[in-house]
Amino acid sequence: MTAVSQGEIQIATESDILLARRAVREAATQVGFGATDVTRIVTAASELARNTFLYAGRGTMHWTRCELHGREGLELKFVDKGPGIPDISLALQEGYSTGKGLGMGLPGAKRLMDDMDIQSAPGHGTTITVKKWRKT
Amino acid sequence: MSDISVIRVRDLLMVTLPSDPDDATVSALQHQVLEAMQKREPKGVVLDISAVETLDSFFARTVAETAQMVRLMGGRTIIAGMRPAVAITATQIGLTLGKIETALDVDRALEMVARGDGNIGGQK
Ligand SMILES: Nc1ncnc2c1ncn2[C@@H]1O[C@H](COP(=O)(O)OP(=O)(O)OP(=O)(O)O)[C@@H](O)[C@H]1O
Ligand SMILES: [Mg+2]
Repeated sequence: MTAVSQGEIQIATESDILLARRAVREAATQVGFGATDVTRIVTAASELARNTFLYAGRGTMHWTRCELHGREGLELKFVDKGPGIPDISLALQEGYSTGKGLGMGLPGAKRLMDDMDIQSAPGHGTTITVKKWRKT
Repeated sequence: MSDISVIRVRDLLMVTLPSDPDDATVSALQHQVLEAMQKREPKGVVLDISAVETLDSFFARTVAETAQMVRLMGGRTIIAGMRPAVAITATQIGLTLGKIETALDVDRALEMVARGDGNIGGQK
């Protein structure tokens, strides 16, 4: 059996958030993350997928198994062509929300993962990439 | 569409959640619980989340809100059976479930209600 090393999920409806979570759970389990890390990664994916759906209406989640210095990991990339984030550092502040949320999603996802990169500009959409490495 | 079960046990509502509820299911939870509170007038709600594998900000917000509404209707809410990985993740993200009582499992939640006391064996 060969392990699948990447995939993507279209996020266009609320229930796609669930599909994204399931795909990430499967991928993270395949990479060999422990139960707590799988939960961390799936929770981060849930927050980012929901943001894609809520603020951009639609987008795509790409997941890729990756390796760095012999350590296996998982990369999740959320791409949308929505309104973009005018002030990224503000959006990363706990409690900041332009919606009716708690403003916990973005900072929470950052804390749960090892790495987060946000590329966004008003009118140009948003690309958020997060990575987590397996403990050896 | 909902996979939530809401049953009455003694003077309580026992609400059981599936492992990976979608947003519609989580929203339905609030509706079903409040409706059952009104119709069956239980003393409180035990929310069994022992199957739940992901607790994100949407879930936390809905549950905290529901518990607050149950309180306004004169009931108490006890969350039972949070998995360790879920508890660790929720804490790390900074999610709180408000001032909701917690119990290690459903048995202990029922004991709490029967004795009419606070947190025993619960993760506060
Ligand atoms: N993909 C995106 N496109 C445009 N804006 C975004 C995107 N993701 C996040 N944002 C902005 O960043 C803010 C903070 O996001 P965050 O997920 O932290 O909080 P929230 O979604 O408002 O609430 P919560 O996630 O706690 O329910 C959002 O309110 C929104 O304005
Ligand atoms: Mg969010």
